[in-house]
Amino acid sequence: MKNIINIFVLTILTTLFYWYVAQMVPQKETHPPESAEIREDMSTDELIVVGEKIAMGKGTCFLCHTIGTEGARAPDMAGVGQRAATRKEGYSDIDYLAESLFEPAAYVVQGYNPIMTPAHKAPISLTQQEILAVIVYLQSLGGTPTVTMKTKLKYSADASATPAPTAVASSNGNAVSYDHLSGEELFNKYACMACHSLTDPIQLLGPSLYDVGNRLSRAEIYEAIIDPDAVVNEGFVKGIMSATLQGAGFDKDITPQQLRTMVKFLSEKKGS
Amino acid sequence: MYAAFVLAVPMFALLIEFIGYKTGDKRYDKLAHEFTSLLSVSFSFTATLGAILTFMLMILYPRFTSYLVSIFDKTFWPYGLLFFAEAGFLYSYYYGWGKFSPRVHLLLGVGLNIVGTAIMFIANAWLAFMTSPSGIDEAGNLVSTWDAVNNFIWMPINIHRMIANVCFGGAIAAAYAGFKFLGAKTKEEKAHYDWMGYVGNFIAISALLPLPFAGYWLGSEIYAFRAQMGMVLMGGAFSWLFIIQAVLIGMLFLGANYYLWLGMERIEGAEKYKKFVKYLLATITVCFVVWATPHSLVATVEEARKMGGAHHPILGILGVMSAKNTAVNIMILTTYISFLLYRRGNKVATVSWAPLGHTAQFLIFSVTIIFVIIIGVVGYFVEASVRIGLSVPQVISVLSAMISVTIIDIFLFRNARIVGQIKWGEIPARAQYMLFFLAVTFTWLMGLMGYVRSGLRLHWHVYEVMKDTSVDAFTPTLGFAATVVSSIVIIFFIFIMFNFWLTGLLHKKDWEPKT
Repeated sequence: MKNIINIFVLTILTTLFYWYVAQMVPQKETHPPESAEIREDMSTDELIVVGEKIAMGKGTCFLCHTIGTEGARAPDMAGVGQRAATRKEGYSDIDYLAESLFEPAAYVVQGYNPIMTPAHKAPISLTQQEILAVIVYLQSLGGTPTVTMKTKLKYSADASATPAPTAVASSNGNAVSYDHLSGEELFNKYACMACHSLTDPIQLLGPSLYDVGNRLSRAEIYEAIIDPDAVVNEGFVKGIMSATLQGAGFDKDITPQQLRTMVKFLSEKKGS
Repeated sequence: MYAAFVLAVPMFALLIEFIGYKTGDKRYDKLAHEFTSLLSVSFSFTATLGAILTFMLMILYPRFTSYLVSIFDKTFWPYGLLFFAEAGFLYSYYYGWGKFSPRVHLLLGVGLNIVGTAIMFIANAWLAFMTSPSGIDEAGNLVSTWDAVNNFIWMPINIHRMIANVCFGGAIAAAYAGFKFLGAKTKEEKAHYDWMGYVGNFIAISALLPLPFAGYWLGSEIYAFRAQMGMVLMGGAFSWLFIIQAVLIGMLFLGANYYLWLGMERIEGAEKYKKFVKYLLATITVCFVVWATPHSLVATVEEARKMGGAHHPILGILGVMSAKNTAVNIMILTTYISFLLYRRGNKVATVSWAPLGHTAQFLIFSVTIIFVIIIGVVGYFVEASVRIGLSVPQVISVLSAMISVTIIDIFLFRNARIVGQIKWGEIPARAQYMLFFLAVTFTWLMGLMGYVRSGLRLHWHVYEVMKDTSVDAFTPTLGFAATVVSSIVIIFFIFIMFNFWLTGLLHKKDWEPKT
């Protein structure tokens, strides 16, 4: 018995030691990338800020690139706004930067491997507007930004012809541009108000969501959207909402960001 | 973990049985039989846990499960049938021990291993597809089942898992021997379980040495599929996980060497090698420290920019792959040297060319270590595209050194003069606890690497094909993952101790009513 206790204690202590080591390293939760809000009327300075945010976040550019130090995996971006115009003969800085984002393997800087994936395809899946914002930001690194949201890139047609691969439950490229909408706007966009009242405790085809934040937790609201047949309120017919959502392509269009926004919005409906 | 154990034990049980058959030494046959006795209960546990996993996938991830079914439905039939065959082979192999001619029994063992390996390969195809999907069109629809199976990382995963399973199975079997040794009442029992623990640990460490090379292959295939995924793995969200891995592997190397050094105490004549232990320990410790040096000290990209780069200004020199690859290669060589010293503990070479043989071995080690260090230093001064390829000559040189030194050693100690006996059973109890420490470490490491293999997909169920659109689509912190891994390890060891106890009932006397 003593041996078994010793072995048990050793097992626990060894496990605790490794657990402790894991608690000592930096702790970081990695969330799915969120799309930036981009308006047509944004100034150049605003676009630079947004482009930088995209490059650092959703674009994951600085996982490999650096600024101001020699990149071990991918080139240093310092001064790229100036260099871009002279990299390839017959290419303007916009042409070169656009090609680097849409077809990164077309030109690879000497000394580096062709490791970059097209920015408009999965897993990065930047939208046209986001790519334009990134180009504005890159131009600002040593050059003069000239791109606006109205600039047409020669890859625009290709990008729309080859959307990011999607599957049964994945989101597609079109849905990404709605990520900046508010919860109420999304509620209207997906025509939820056709069956649910938000403003009054009245029953339409579906129950009122006037005070849903009092009745359901966030997790329950989430479940009610994603799997509406899991729990059906008394007096309502199972299958109607899921069939409606499926018919409207909700499952394909909705993104994690939009879901979070909607769930947050609904959880705040407390009946007042 | 259970599946790994159930697949691994037949591999080395068959090997040990074969050695017993060829040498006529009954001890090997008994040892193989005893290893196999751990299997029957474990097989039932594996099947039950597999069923629970399947139900959980269907309940918690119905769309994802139905998508995988749409891709791999053709593989389910052979998988199910092979499971039946596995049960047939396993139970006839175990219950048929001594009932058939040795050749027929060995054939049953071969069948068991072939079927078990095939089952693992099929299941690996599913999980490898999730990371590096192929055989589908842009919308995710199936184009070719074979291409979906034979995806980028399928074969590296197969090989890596096969070696890792042997490693893990050997460690658990050694822990079983340690458990029995500590409870042994007689000298004979102690001698038997000491030897069993040594063999189990030998198998585990032998498999551990080539495991990093299989890991390199897997890593390079991940990079080849999507460099960005490789970046996430080694330089992004999971870069700190590899520091935890370095601590675990460092502990494995330290523990394995310590067990060998303790084992030398039971070898008469091995005292002359004790003076080398401190140098070996120092080398392993230095390599361990280099390997565990963080690649970067940042958690977010913004912080990396503020630091002016991804690397720490001082530690960054050691925290890059050039230094780490060099350290791990030297650590492998050092462990191999420990084993060589153990192996020759009670022997003196008598062949006429013995001095030449010793010099050749010394030169091979010296040249290899110098070469590995030079390559590591060169890595700091070449372009990234060249640097990535430098791990290959390092690996090849270390493997070549181990193979050539082993060949020389076999001939060098043929007909060697035996200057003392190996006193099996006369080993400190702490060596047995060390076997348990190694088993727990292997298990924890397995849990951690399972997490990263799955987690590197981030918010994708099937990378670039099917997103996780749930509110839980985030990758948890390493601390949280460690809590889950630790819980699983403790549950596994409670189960495995229960297994050991059940297996021990075989040798108990039948109950009789008190008169």
